[in-house]
Amino acid sequence: MLNELRVNEKIIRLMVGFITDIQNMDGIVYYARPDLTLGAGFGTAISTQGGPKVQEELKKTGSANITDVVVTGGGNLQAKYILHAVGPRFQEEDSEEKLEATTLNVLRKAEEHKLQKIVFPAMGAGFYGIPLEVSARVTLGVAREFLEKAVEPKEVVFCLRDSRELKVFQENLQKMK
Amino acid sequence: MAQNARSHKASKVVERMGKKLNRQMVGSLVGCVHCGMCAESCHYVLANPDDPTYAPAYKADQIRKIFKRNFDWTGKIFPWWVHAQDVRTDEDLEKLKDIVFGKCTNCRRCSLNCPMGVDFATINRMARGLLVSVGVMPEGVAVVSKDQWEVGNQMGVLPQDYLETIEWLSDELENEFKDTAARIPIDKMDADVVYAINPREVKYDPRTISDAARIFYLAGENWTMPSEGWDMTNFGLFSGDDELGGAVVQRVYEKVIELRGKRLVLSECGHGYRSTRCEGPNWSGTGVPPFVIESSVLTMLRYIKEGRIRVDKEKNRAAVTFHDSCNNARSCGFYEEPRELLNLLVTDFREMYPNRAENFCCTGGGGAMSMSEYTPQRLKSAIIKADQLKATGVKVVVTSCHNCVDGLTDVIRHYKLGMKVTQLVNLTANALVIPEKVVVPVEALISVVTLPLQGFKILVVDDEPDILTFLAAVLEDQGATVIQAADGEQALALTIQEKPDLVTLDLSMPGKNGGYVFEEIRNNPEIASTKVCIITGKPELRRLIYERPVAPPEGYLDKPVNEETLLTNIRMILELKRPHGHA
Repeated sequence: MLNELRVNEKIIRLMVGFITDIQNMDGIVYYARPDLTLGAGFGTAISTQGGPKVQEELKKTGSANITDVVVTGGGNLQAKYILHAVGPRFQEEDSEEKLEATTLNVLRKAEEHKLQKIVFPAMGAGFYGIPLEVSARVTLGVAREFLEKAVEPKEVVFCLRDSRELKVFQENLQKMK
Repeated sequence: MAQNARSHKASKVVERMGKKLNRQMVGSLVGCVHCGMCAESCHYVLANPDDPTYAPAYKADQIRKIFKRNFDWTGKIFPWWVHAQDVRTDEDLEKLKDIVFGKCTNCRRCSLNCPMGVDFATINRMARGLLVSVGVMPEGVAVVSKDQWEVGNQMGVLPQDYLETIEWLSDELENEFKDTAARIPIDKMDADVVYAINPREVKYDPRTISDAARIFYLAGENWTMPSEGWDMTNFGLFSGDDELGGAVVQRVYEKVIELRGKRLVLSECGHGYRSTRCEGPNWSGTGVPPFVIESSVLTMLRYIKEGRIRVDKEKNRAAVTFHDSCNNARSCGFYEEPRELLNLLVTDFREMYPNRAENFCCTGGGGAMSMSEYTPQRLKSAIIKADQLKATGVKVVVTSCHNCVDGLTDVIRHYKLGMKVTQLVNLTANALVIPEKVVVPVEALISVVTLPLQGFKILVVDDEPDILTFLAAVLEDQGATVIQAADGEQALALTIQEKPDLVTLDLSMPGKNGGYVFEEIRNNPEIASTKVCIITGKPELRRLIYERPVAPPEGYLDKPVNEETLLTNIRMILELKRPHGHA
């Protein structure tokens, strides 16, 4: 199955791993809560590995609306930046459109900060209940379209947690070929 | 139209309910004749006889009325006749949440005793899943679910922490047996046994992993633990989220297949056993996996029967009773094998009554331990369990479930029963007869345990002088330099001044409480990286710590804490290797 898609001189790549452990990334995307509390899941990883600085920066912003993206430093993480993307949750209205807007806002922030390589999780899938198929189709589609025109980022990685997620992303990437 | 009057979330709940209605579910939704048999079997009802809202039939009716109004022809045409009622608002959903999460542990004792075959636990679980799908759930359920979805285990143990803990335990094992083969293999291909565990073991009770490792080593087993897919527990069973349930078991199954393991052995965990062995193939849609799945209870029993390990029951002379986990006994019919093993391990086993499939829940089942907002009603209803435990007259309760260990410990503490909870793996390890070839020289043992905390500075914080003295004495005996603080203010000042390697922190203290002190430590860049171990007698305060917007504490222990547990956890937090290292 397809794990990479070249878009002009840029690339979309799929992999299985743990997002905060991925090396050589300029930015990590975190699917954030509107109150910007890091909370559980990948939030635990960010607060444990990144240290308290990340949450301190978020405190200054306070809260955010759905589709907003807040950029902080990566604290002690290897990545320089964390892009806190407040995406739709739990079957809320217009989830698909909101996910599309959130993903686009992440990519715009990445371009604004001149990030060469960023890594996404399966946005909204799992705990927040966005169907995996929707997450894959929407985020891959937005990424591809954005990379066709933008200068940065050069590489967009989707770091998935298991083969179940990978399979759906591979199928959607295949369709875009 | 009713549909138009619904909130968005309520509409989604009803829409999804329609997709969940299989024959089993509908049978339970229409079959109730309100005979009251279920009420007599529910520990919540028995402990609250004047409150009819605890009756399983009443609780089921709160789900049933939505079903009838929307999916059953009688409720659509004559709603007033059959008590059909729609769910309209977000407030309705919140009320339903307090019933399905707060008034039932899904123990299935009522299901077993229903003459009509109504499985209330199944429809209660479905209702939980519907609420979770729209984000209506206790905060603790959200935290644990998110951890399992994203980190890969219920307790948010990061991959590196898991591997480091196993490495540390391996070093201890190797030192104990003075044998380089006495290690815990990770991702060994073609192993006969792949051992999956409960993350509680890594985070709070690594002794159970060590005990299992001793047994595998002495049995000469070709075994391994997986680097991924090692959490065989499954919060999907509790939250009603079938997708989570499927994702978790799939991760476990796929790892065993990748390693070409022949047998998946599950450590003692009732809901993990039910989820991984019984429900998993359905949730994951992958069918029955191509390897054997068994509880470690069966594995240990087989080793003894086949003579692969020898045990001496004289080493376990205390009188014990056995608590059947609901998921093992009631849902999986797994109750004779633990007794067979127990009788080989102890000299004095006394049954608890009722027992086996009729046993009462530990009261911490169904994820109840993670829902601190319902702790008072949970502990009130636990009087039934407390009386049952007390009637045995023993001081040691054995159970084959990690969740039950926590649930029972809480009941014992609350009702001041003075009992201890242990598991079969601990008793088996304790009863092991070590063969001559791996007998550890006495000199080696002495050198291994010589002052392992030498060079570490530890601040102990507690407002109870007896506890301060106990903690200080135990840690000083192990070579640590101990500083003491009796309140939060002093604790903060000493942390800044002394820069200890570790702070053990009580939560409930007058003035600046432990939660405040913890957050202050984390928010002060000068001391933010100080390792913290919470030691509290109030587990309901745990969420106050883990919900704080700061990095979580490195350790957490419930009072009363014994010397062994304290030292095991302190050494793990300090990532301490035995001073004499590898052989």
